[in-house]
Amino acid sequence: MDSFAANKRFAQDIGVKFPLLSDWKRKAVKDYGIYNEESGYATRATFVVDKVGKIQHIELGRTAIDPTGAYQVCDLLQKKKPAKQ
Amino acid sequence: MIVFALGVFAQNAPKPPSTHLKVGDAAPELVLNDTDGNAVKLSDYKGKKSVVLAFYVLAFTGG
Repeated sequence: MDSFAANKRFAQDIGVKFPLLSDWKRKAVKDYGIYNEESGYATRATFVVDKVGKIQHIELGRTAIDPTGAYQVCDLLQKKKPAKQ
Repeated sequence: MIVFALGVFAQNAPKPPSTHLKVGDAAPELVLNDTDGNAVKLSDYKGKKSVVLAFYVLAFTGG
C-alpha cells in the first residue's frame, strides 16, 4: 500500500531480487478479500498461484509471515506435471 | 456473571483473518506498479511460472 517510489528505496535497502509491487489504491487487497475497511489496512497474506492462474495455497494473518507453507506448495507445483490450460 | 463476562469477551474478540477466495479459485487479475513504475500483470506469468503473492502489510514501511 506504499507508493512505488517508497518501495524502490525499500527494495534498494534490502536488496530484493523479486518484483516489489505497490497496491497504492488498495485494489488488489480488496480483490483478494484481505482489506479491513474499519482499520484501513489489509491483513498479511500469502497466495500461491499456479501456472494456469489457479490459487493453490492461502495463508492469512500472522502465519503468512512464515514462507514455509508457500515454499512447500511451490516445491509440489514444480514436481507436478503441467496442467492443461 | 461469568457467563456475561465471557459473552462480552467473545463479542470483542478480534475476528480471525478471512477471504472470500479459496484454493482452486481463479486468482483475481492484478495490475500493479513495480519499483520503477512499470505495470506488472499477474496474467503475464500465466503459462510460464507459478507466482507467490506475499501481501506484507506494515512491514518496515508506512503501509
